[in-house]
Amino acid sequence: MENEHVLDLIPEYLDGSLDKETMKDIQRHLEKCPQCQQETKEMEALLKAFKSDVVPVPSERLRSRFEEALEAEKASMGKVVPLPLEKKNRNWASSVLKIAASIALLVASFQMGSVFQQKKINQELAQLKDENLDMKQTAMLSLMENQSASKRIQGVAYIDEFENPDESIIQALANRLLNDENDNVRLTAFEALSKYTSSETVKNVFIEALEKEKNPSIQVAIIQTLVQIQEKKAAEPMKKLLEKEDTQPFIKEQIKAVLPSLT
Amino acid sequence: MEALSDEMIMQKVAEGNLDLLKVLFDRHHKHVYNFLFKMTGDRMLSEDLTQDVFYKLIKYRSSYNMGSFKSWLFTIARNSLKTHFTRHHKTFEDIEVLAYQSVEDAHDMTENNAHLQNALNRLPPEDRELILLNRYQEIRYDDLAEMMGSSPGAIKTKVCRILKKLKEIYLETI
Ligand SMILES: [Zn+2]
Repeated sequence: MENEHVLDLIPEYLDGSLDKETMKDIQRHLEKCPQCQQETKEMEALLKAFKSDVVPVPSERLRSRFEEALEAEKASMGKVVPLPLEKKNRNWASSVLKIAASIALLVASFQMGSVFQQKKINQELAQLKDENLDMKQTAMLSLMENQSASKRIQGVAYIDEFENPDESIIQALANRLLNDENDNVRLTAFEALSKYTSSETVKNVFIEALEKEKNPSIQVAIIQTLVQIQEKKAAEPMKKLLEKEDTQPFIKEQIKAVLPSLT
Repeated sequence: MEALSDEMIMQKVAEGNLDLLKVLFDRHHKHVYNFLFKMTGDRMLSEDLTQDVFYKLIKYRSSYNMGSFKSWLFTIARNSLKTHFTRHHKTFEDIEVLAYQSVEDAHDMTENNAHLQNALNRLPPEDRELILLNRYQEIRYDDLAEMMGSSPGAIKTKVCRILKKLKEIYLETI
């Protein structure tokens, strides 16, 4: 190294981030090479400028807005009914979630990395326009598969992030409503889906759910929504519920009251 | 709390201790703001985007993957910046112009400040970003490599090359 220029190592030399041996080698070279000396002096001036740069300070508004958002999130967390399942499975569940989410983040950062390296940035950007949404979607879908019911609820609640959720999100929510073992998850999934009642898929899912659902509060919610949107196909499963022995009396009352409006 | 690493704190946040996010906000909001300001040259925009970054930390806390917190934070910051410009149908070329103009207008900068910022603005945005992350945020080469989907060796070479270029521009204008 003594006789080779060390130009490429100068920034690290000035940072002091090289091993002792290399630092010494560079010093020895610098002693007898004016070209590298000059480069070192110039680079030092630039790095000094970085160190003495004055950093702009954001206004206090930033902090107050952050604290507001934090309080809002804490308040919304409190609303979730505590679920005994959470504790039992926490460790296992959170590590699975972490794996899923780290894959999501890896994909996102890999895509960003490649974008920044491209010259045809416009084209790339058009392609990746929905990347941020993709990240959300991946996070949402993986949360909904979590072992812990409260994580699944959190996943379902992500629906607020989407203006126009695509079919895979609707399907995942439908799957929660129809098959989740936890009442709170099914109810949250129902609430999420009830914003999209103009979708045929959602209507059909509600009708199917009405046939399967055993929890009276969810049954009531589904019945009310189906009546509200005047879904005629709901009449049949409602009649079936009337005939079933295990249907709660107040559900039967409810059905009797609304059925005429559908038939 | 001082003694706890960002990673340990974020892990606790992910597990539900939301109040600890205040510690991370205190430690990092100025850095995020500074990065965004040096990328855009726009104070209001940088504040809004910084707000957005911390809002996302709150929202996506459970997807924290135990990796370097700073890399994660700045990955979110870069993502927010890019989303903003996509939404406004602008390219990175526009970022450059925008930054150049508004920083020229800044009166509250020292001379050294202005020289350095002007030199930085003459770098392509993707180079500028790398230098900002490496020099101001002190993000290590291997973390940068992870963020950019590259290798530490390649990033190190790139940073060195950009520093040389920046140094030429800086000395030319001084
Ligand atoms: Zn030399």
